[in-house]
Amino acid sequence: MSGPYPLYVPKYPRSWWLRKGPYRRFAAREITSMFSAAVSATLLAFLFALSRGPKAYEAFLRLLDSPWMIAASAITLTALLYHTATWFRLTTHIVVVRVRGQTLPRGLLIVALSVAWLGASAVVAYFHVWF
Amino acid sequence: MLMGDRADAPSLGQVLEWSDSAVVPPRVRLPRARGPRALLEAMAWALFSAGGFAAAILLPIHVAILGIAYAAGWLPDDALSYERIHHLASNPLVRLYLTALISLPLYHWAHRFRFAIHHQFGIGLKKLVASGCYGSAMLGTGLAVWIIFFRL
Repeated sequence: MSGPYPLYVPKYPRSWWLRKGPYRRFAAREITSMFSAAVSATLLAFLFALSRGPKAYEAFLRLLDSPWMIAASAITLTALLYHTATWFRLTTHIVVVRVRGQTLPRGLLIVALSVAWLGASAVVAYFHVWF
Repeated sequence: MLMGDRADAPSLGQVLEWSDSAVVPPRVRLPRARGPRALLEAMAWALFSAGGFAAAILLPIHVAILGIAYAAGWLPDDALSYERIHHLASNPLVRLYLTALISLPLYHWAHRFRFAIHHQFGIGLKKLVASGCYGSAMLGTGLAVWIIFFRL
């Protein structure tokens, strides 16, 4: 890359992403993926406990049944909902849906994704809790 | 420094005249990347996207049920009983669903965390970071398949 002229390489401090609101929101969006992975790991542990029989499963349920779990879950849920919101936002920026030569407005796509999200949540809740 | 500051710089009128008469060559399109590298990158992006959707649409309700509603006592008494949940998780469709639910967000995390290490933490080591992140996601997928299909 370097030619006859010295190449100017801007040097950023490590904390560049804490400097401005948009940078912080970007970093927050990226950090939500940590919570997704943590939920995956928790679900895996839940199924592992389930596979080891009723005793291990009851022990895992006792772990879930604590005020700390509610607090951690509330933080996790907030992060996941932030991910959902930003994910729908960026999806509707990337995906262009055309119907009979007309581009659907972004607002409509966000409504459609939200309806799909609510529907999927309802189906999961039905099977998880009441089926 | 603007060009107009220099004595020998062309005037704006000259530039506009040239630009009108200029022949604009067609844009050179780079050939589409092919081969195993391009395939791996396409797969990483596809899994990232699928994981983003799984995490956005499916994970919140699971956290709400297992993390909050259960501990708060909002669920019916036998909702999470061992027999019921074990029976539910024995269904082949539910097993496929659980495998996707657990593994896809891991690829989403791997993709984002990989770049967070480079951009937020300012660490290089591209190959090590990529193999560590995607490797963890694959390990998680393997564990999920093992537990869901061979232990449950």
